[in-house]
Amino acid sequence: MEELDLLKKDWKKNENSFKQVSENEIYKMIHKNSSSVVKWILIIGIIEFVVITTLGIFMPDDNYSKTLEKNHIGTLMTILTVVNYCIVIGFIYLFYKNFKNISTTDSVRKLMKNILNTRKTVQYYVWYNLGMFVLIFIIILFSFCFYDEKFSEMFDKVQLKENAGLIWSAIIGSFIIVFAVMFSLLWLFYKVIYGFLLRKLHKNYQELKKIDL
Amino acid sequence: MSQDLEQSFVKQLKENQNIIHKICRLYTSGQDAHNDLFQEITIQLWKAYPKFRGDSKFTTWAYRVALNTAITLYRKSTRSIATTEFDNTKHFIKQEDYNYEEEEQIKLMYKAVYQLNDIEKALVFMYLEDKDYEEISETLGISEVNARVKMNRIKGKLKKILNP
Repeated sequence: MEELDLLKKDWKKNENSFKQVSENEIYKMIHKNSSSVVKWILIIGIIEFVVITTLGIFMPDDNYSKTLEKNHIGTLMTILTVVNYCIVIGFIYLFYKNFKNISTTDSVRKLMKNILNTRKTVQYYVWYNLGMFVLIFIIILFSFCFYDEKFSEMFDKVQLKENAGLIWSAIIGSFIIVFAVMFSLLWLFYKVIYGFLLRKLHKNYQELKKIDL
Repeated sequence: MSQDLEQSFVKQLKENQNIIHKICRLYTSGQDAHNDLFQEITIQLWKAYPKFRGDSKFTTWAYRVALNTAITLYRKSTRSIATTEFDNTKHFIKQEDYNYEEEEQIKLMYKAVYQLNDIEKALVFMYLEDKDYEEISETLGISEVNARVKMNRIKGKLKKILNP
């Protein structure tokens, strides 16, 4: 077919007319998976937020809020919840921004900077959540100690016993154990989910570092 | 170890990148789509690279993986590419030895090739690359006879498109 040979001639003539891709760009392409890791961080952050919010909406525990009211921390807890939502939404926005940045960068150095940023954001997020947990735990504990009727009854009883010191240390000890277990569970939750993604990001970062010398 | 692998891959890909560019030229139009497919093929090549043992030439292997990517993977995500018109003014008209009639014919040919389906394009690509039927059959995973038959059908189809 004559036309096909004509096409072949033209094809050959233009063989070297392509804008050449550099080695750096190729490295970047094969390390593109950073953007998918960051995408997962965003997705998991949103899922976490949605799950916790729906749980909060669909399981309104009257007893719980009544107890809070009785112990004078109802308003404080409402304020804390609202503040918490705002901050978490802020974090999700940051995750989104990281994702946008990473998927549009075209230089290795910028990509590395973005990876570091993302890691930092996630670390802050985890620290924030753990800190919030500690804060709420302490507030609830103190409010119970100071205001709860059952608690004060119990305290009075203990006070009258002979071995009060021993019982006190047992009570405090069990509080600490409960706190430690809950805290470690939460910590483990974040460690497993985000730790896995962060390790992947870190590995990718190390590889990028080798290129960018 | 993995670093060596990476280095040799990047080096070979850089040297042979025109293969991928040419496939992108045939399967996409516009620089963005070209870059997207280039990247997709690069990623697929890199994923498949540990299995490449050097039994065949890097180029033969690259032809196979790259065409497979263009045919299967890329088709799923962007169905519209087959229908977009090719902007040949950008790539193909050069000032020297300008032959109006010939240029017109080449333009029409490119347009016709763009109307072929993805597998037919792969055959045309191999033909334009001066590959014999043995290599075509090896690369595309069809028999030599089948490749010949297909190529003849494609020529017929192109003629029909050119002279409706």
